[in-house]
Amino acid sequence: MKMHKRNRNVAIIGIGQTSLSSHKEDQNQVEMVQEAVLRALDDAGLKIGEIDCIVHGNMELFEMQFAPDLWHSLGTGAYGKDEYRITTGGTTGATLVCAADNLVASGLYDTVLAIGMEKLQEGNTTGGITNMADPLWFRNLQTGALTGTTAQEMIDEFGEERAKRAAMRYRIMMDKHAMLNPRAHRRFGLEYEQAADLMANSPQLVGELRLIHMCSQSDGAAAMIFTSEEKAKAGTKHPPVWVRDHIQVHREETIPNLFGFTKPEMTHRYAARTLFARNGIQNPVDYFDVFEMYDPSAWWAMDWLREFLLLSGDEHLRMLEAGDFDLDGRLPINPSGGVIASNPIGATAMLRPAEAALQIRGDAGGHQIKKEVRHALASGFGGTFWTALMILEKELGWQEVNHD
Amino acid sequence: MTEYFGTTVADIFNTMPKRFKPAEAKDVDITIGYEATGEGGGKWKATIKNGTLKVETVEGELTGCKTTVHADAEIFVGVTLGKIGAIDALSSQKLRVAGDPKLLMLLLPKIFIPYEAPVKKPDKITARTIIATLAERFRPEKAEGVTMAIGYDIAGDGGGQWTIEIRDGKCAVREGLVDPLTVKLTMAADVYTGMMLGTLEAVTAFTSGQVRIDGDMMAAGATAKFFRKYEVPGATEAEELLCLRVTNAIDQRFATGPVMGRWFSGLREKKFLANRCPECGRTQIPPREVCAWCHVRVLDFVEVGPKGTVTNFDIVHFASPDPLTGAVRDTPYAPVYVVLDGSSEQEAFAMEIKKEDIPRLTVGARVRPVWAEKTTGSYRDVIGFELDI
Repeated sequence: MKMHKRNRNVAIIGIGQTSLSSHKEDQNQVEMVQEAVLRALDDAGLKIGEIDCIVHGNMELFEMQFAPDLWHSLGTGAYGKDEYRITTGGTTGATLVCAADNLVASGLYDTVLAIGMEKLQEGNTTGGITNMADPLWFRNLQTGALTGTTAQEMIDEFGEERAKRAAMRYRIMMDKHAMLNPRAHRRFGLEYEQAADLMANSPQLVGELRLIHMCSQSDGAAAMIFTSEEKAKAGTKHPPVWVRDHIQVHREETIPNLFGFTKPEMTHRYAARTLFARNGIQNPVDYFDVFEMYDPSAWWAMDWLREFLLLSGDEHLRMLEAGDFDLDGRLPINPSGGVIASNPIGATAMLRPAEAALQIRGDAGGHQIKKEVRHALASGFGGTFWTALMILEKELGWQEVNHD
Repeated sequence: MTEYFGTTVADIFNTMPKRFKPAEAKDVDITIGYEATGEGGGKWKATIKNGTLKVETVEGELTGCKTTVHADAEIFVGVTLGKIGAIDALSSQKLRVAGDPKLLMLLLPKIFIPYEAPVKKPDKITARTIIATLAERFRPEKAEGVTMAIGYDIAGDGGGQWTIEIRDGKCAVREGLVDPLTVKLTMAADVYTGMMLGTLEAVTAFTSGQVRIDGDMMAAGATAKFFRKYEVPGATEAEELLCLRVTNAIDQRFATGPVMGRWFSGLREKKFLANRCPECGRTQIPPREVCAWCHVRVLDFVEVGPKGTVTNFDIVHFASPDPLTGAVRDTPYAPVYVVLDGSSEQEAFAMEIKKEDIPRLTVGARVRPVWAEKTTGSYRDVIGFELDI
């Protein structure tokens, strides 16, 4: 895949989030979007007149509202401005960030505002996801995003006890992170000593995928502001966070294709391998200081860590068991509490780079990592296996390695 | 004594012996001193040794302590209750620990049940008073044709056991639990009142194990809509926030095209027709218009199966709706992934397995298709798979 050298560098200079909850009946979609936009503008110290272009996204099948960007325009501030709408399922928020990055890097716009939102309570998530499947075949089998196959594969590979413990330890670790993040939606106050009880008694959804393992359905919005290196260097309210590179790829044929006797390379690994290679990153575990990963369930999270971090065998389990992924471990995963804690779908994948950027700035609040965060990784996930992955940096001056 | 966050510093120490877990502390030997400054503050000393705990108030200096904790009384209560982030308080120096702070963070959660502020019951609203209003809040128009018995087993102050019987558009509440129940809900009284008063989200309560559901999980979820929301008597009405209700129903038709059309006409003949890539030779099932690997049109068809081997499966307990009919599926049901005989090995194909075969389902099992009596060239022609034994 050919990747061209950036025309110019792009900085994240504003970040805004609403609170995330399962009921936001005190505001409509326009008002919710505006809350995130105002916070991002305030964070950047900008006025809406200083925004050159807006990118808007959500998963419109969920709310069944066609072209919501039109309805939302007074909340987004898009009235009379260039605006693009993007929707790539769960990946939407990350695709928005990739698109905003491209729009600024290309030189077409100086300052771009990206907005991701979802009000899942106003529609039907499982219905929406079902309608995403190939309408000619497989819709009759779709059960939303719920599957127990990853749990079963991990149990087969690592033994029941160890696999179940790992998934539950990851889940409780996420809850501990979410407890430190007042914006997170589900905050249970789980303790590691509850693991055995939850493993046995949390209601089964699909096979060993239990209710406690699965992400929530949340309402909320996120907004981020991107600008050119030149503008960022002319002065920003907070230190800029630099977008070094991103990859966005899907390799879908059909869903059952993932379950043959031989399996295709998972898109996550393909994306990570490609992105790290062209940036000369040999060992992602050593290079990155934080990874905000799109983790829809504890089982997927554990399985995917191996793919994203290019690990093999049980390395990912050993790292988890050694506490390497804890908030102040070797490579902290999801200090925010992750998608498991909060999942406003169109905003979810944007919250990953947003939270990673806050970690680099040192502005994450209660869930700030203690050591300095200089290099951050953030991922998005959607569709069946659609991956967005991006690298954020505290400082410019990384080695340009290979863009062919 | 001055209250913060609805409780006092003294209550935290007074409840310590009750919250102590001796079994967890049998190898612990430590004395911890606490100094809460300002109004409502004081000094305490907790001595833990050989699985015993002694808590005492201290006048004057805190002596003989391995670790001491110092904070303003409000910070102290806030951190204890989790209302103020401990890390925040520590890093901002509002909470100071002399000695090993890590020891406290690791040790205390292990040997003490977390402190909770005493529950204050506003206006004496109890589970009993709320349950008593159920019959008058019943909405017969929402419960048409519904017959169920919902049991509540509510422990603690104001709790009890009740059965709500819904039948023929009527609702009756009676004391005690009948047998059989459609579903039984077990919880503490404050969990029930919290959910009814809107201070505790039902999903959170259920997911975190505060509500136990025995029986039909979907029925438990459905009960809320049979009743009007409970309102506290005499409470002033908040600003009215209305929600508009809309149901969309769209009758769709999708063209299959010649490639998928061939597949569907194969089903009508009770045959699985895969198409084979002229470049790499792999079979595609269901057939696809091009080979994504070789970027060529795939026009040659070959019959595969009808028997195959299970590569993976999902046993679904979550009663999701069948998107093609809207009917809630009968659980458990199981989509199986099958590589049909004669297919390329990466080409799995998914269908449901016959319900009776679920207990005997294994990876590697041999299966055969179950065809509809009358095939018409649609996805309904294959009902699913069954074990081939």
